Amino acid sequence: MTGYLELTGLHKRYGESIAVHDVSLAIGKGEAVALLGPSGCGKTTTLRMLAGLVDPDRGTIRVDGADITRLPAHRRNMGYVFQSYALFPHLSVARNIGFGLEERGVARGDITRRVGDALALVHLAGLERRRPRELSGGQQQRVALARALVVHPSVLLLDESLSNLDAKLRDAMRHEIRSIQKSLDITTLFVTHDQVEALTMCDRIAVMHRGRIAQIGTPEDIYERPAARFVAEFVGRANALAATRDGGGIRIWGAAQPMNDPGWPSFDILIRPQRMRLLPSAEPTGDAMRVEGRVLRRAFVGDRVEVLVEGPGGQLTVELPSGGTLPEEGTAIAVAWRPQDNLIFPPDAA
Amino acid sequence: MNGAGRGLSLLAGGVYALILAPVVVVVALAFSADNFIVFPPSGFSLRWFRALAGNAPLLAALGVSVQVACAVTLLSLVIGVPAALALAKGRFRFREALTGFFLAPLLLPTLITGLALLLFFTRLRLTATLPGLALGHMTVTVPFVIRMMTTAFATLPHDIEAAAATLGAAPWRVLRRVTLPLALPGVIACACLSFLLSFDETVISLFLSGPRAATLPVEMVHYVEGRTDPLIAALSVVLIIFTLIVVVAVERLVGVARAVSK
Ligand SMILES: Nc1ncnc2c1ncn2[C@@H]1O[C@H](COP(=O)(O)OP(=O)(O)O)[C@@H](O)[C@H]1O
Ligand SMILES: [Mg+2]
Repeated sequence: MTGYLELTGLHKRYGESIAVHDVSLAIGKGEAVALLGPSGCGKTTTLRMLAGLVDPDRGTIRVDGADITRLPAHRRNMGYVFQSYALFPHLSVARNIGFGLEERGVARGDITRRVGDALALVHLAGLERRRPRELSGGQQQRVALARALVVHPSVLLLDESLSNLDAKLRDAMRHEIRSIQKSLDITTLFVTHDQVEALTMCDRIAVMHRGRIAQIGTPEDIYERPAARFVAEFVGRANALAATRDGGGIRIWGAAQPMNDPGWPSFDILIRPQRMRLLPSAEPTGDAMRVEGRVLRRAFVGDRVEVLVEGPGGQLTVELPSGGTLPEEGTAIAVAWRPQDNLIFPPDAA
Repeated sequence: MNGAGRGLSLLAGGVYALILAPVVVVVALAFSADNFIVFPPSGFSLRWFRALAGNAPLLAALGVSVQVACAVTLLSLVIGVPAALALAKGRFRFREALTGFFLAPLLLPTLITGLALLLFFTRLRLTATLPGLALGHMTVTVPFVIRMMTTAFATLPHDIEAAAATLGAAPWRVLRRVTLPLALPGVIACACLSFLLSFDETVISLFLSGPRAATLPVEMVHYVEGRTDPLIAALSVVLIIFTLIVVVAVERLVGVARAVSK
C-alpha cells in the first residue's frame, strides 16, 4: 500500500528495551489515523521519530514520496501538538501562534492576518495578548493546535492531546479537532490510549502493543473483527470464557455449545458484554450459545445496566439497556449469545 | 501559635540577633566622632565618611576591585553559560565526568587555590596584576556559573525547545528565541552573584595582590593591621549598602524576568 505519509520498518531501541519494533504504516492524504495502545507501548516514540525529534535506528519515513528520515526536525514542516502543549511561556498567545510563520520569514502583515484566522478557527479571537499561563487548559490546547496548524504543515501529529482535559471539555474538543481536521483535509496521526477518542476521531485505527502494530483497520474492523486477542480486550470490553473439547463437541462452563470446532485443544472465547442477553433458566434458546449461572450483582450505569453473572467456570458481565425488568440478585439465569458474536483466537496469541 | 512554635521563633530571633549584633556595632562606629575605636562612641559625626572620601589608597583599591569584578563577571558568563549549555544539552562522551570536573574547584578551600595560583602565576609573571587577580577570582566564579546555569538549562519546561524545532526553528534560532530568554533570570542572577563573589574575595586576592594591584578587601586588611580608627567601619557601611542594593536589584530583576517568562 502506498500513502501520503509512509513509515517503513521503523525501529528504535533504548538500551535493552525495544520501544518501537519494525513499525510500518501508510496514511492517505487527508486521512486521520489513530495510534492506539496502552501507556508505554511506543506511541510517543513513533510520533517523535516522525517529527525528527528522535533518530530511528532503522526504517524510513516518506512524505509524498520524499524520504525525510534524515531531515532535521526544523525542516520537516510537521505540526506537532505536545501532550504538555509546550507553549512558550515568555510569548503572548499571538506570538506563540505566529512563531512558525516568523521562522519562515512570512511578512509581518500576513502573520497578523493568519494568526487572526487561526485564532478564529479555534474560537479564541480576542485573546491575542494573553500569556499562556493566563489561559485555561482547554484554551492552551487550542493555542497549541492553532500554532501547529497555522504554518500549513504537511502532516499533523497529536500526542494524547485531550488527556489533560476534563471529561466534558474532552468531548467538545474531540468533535472540534475532528471537524477542523476534515475541513482542512490535513493528514493526521493521532496518538491516544483512549479507545473512545480513537473510535470517534479517526478514519482508521492502528492498535499498538509492545512496540508493534497489532492491527490496522477502520474502527468497525477493529471492534467487530479484532485480529488478535490483545486488540479484542483493549478496544471495547470482552468476557473471556474458557472452552474445552469433549468428544467432538465444545463445552463452556460445562454446557455443550452449537459451534464449529476450531481444532485447538483448549482456548478462550471472547464475547462483548452487550452482545449477550439474559433469559429465564428454563427457556430454550435453539441454536444460540448458552451458559447457566446466577445473578451475583447488578450495577446501574445510567443509560445501561451491568449484570454480573457467576457460573461454574467463573464470572461474566452482561450489559443491558436500562429501563427493562431485571432479574433479582441470586436468581438462577441463562446467558445466551449468537455464535457469530464469538471472538476466537489461537491459544497463546496474546 | 503553639508553645513549640513560639520557642523556635525565639530561638531564631536569638540567632539573628547574634549574627546582626556586630553589624549594629559597625554602623554605630561608622558615625563615631572619636579618633579611635571606642564603643559606644562618645559622640556622633560624619568625619570618617569624609576621611574615607579623601583616602587615596582605599579609593584606588576600590577602582581595582570594580575593574576586576566587572571583567570577572563578563568572562565568567562568556565561559560559563556556553559550558553549562553544552553540559546540560550536549550529547558527548565523558559528560558526567566533565560536569564533576568543572564543579571540583567549588570544593577546594580557597586557601589552597590561592597558594597554588601564587606558585603558578609567579612563573607566568601574573602576580600583582589585574589579569592575574581576575583569573584567580574566576576559579571561584566560573564553576559557580556553570553549576547554576546547568541547573537552569536542565529545568526548562519539558518539550518546549522541541516545539520550537517542529515549528521550523534551526538549533541556533531555538537557542536565541526560546532557551536563552527562558534562562535569562538565571543569567542575571549569575552576573550579580559573580560580581559580588569577586568583589568580596579576600583569601585568593591576598595571595595574588601586590603594591600595584590590591583589591579593596586586601587594602582593608592592610589598613586595620596598622591603624585602629573607625574609617574601616565607615567603609563597611558603604559596602553593606552597596551589597543590599545589588541583592534587592537581583531579587527585582529575576522576579520580573520570572514573571515575564512563566
Ligand atoms: N528517552 C528514552 N530513554 C529510554 N527509554 C525510553 C525513552 N523514551 C521512551 N522510552 C521507553 O520506550 C517505551 C515506549 O515509550 P513511549 O513511546 O513514550 O510510550 P507511549 O507514548 O506509548 O506511552 C517505554 O518503555 C519507555 O520507557
Ligand atoms: Mg506517550
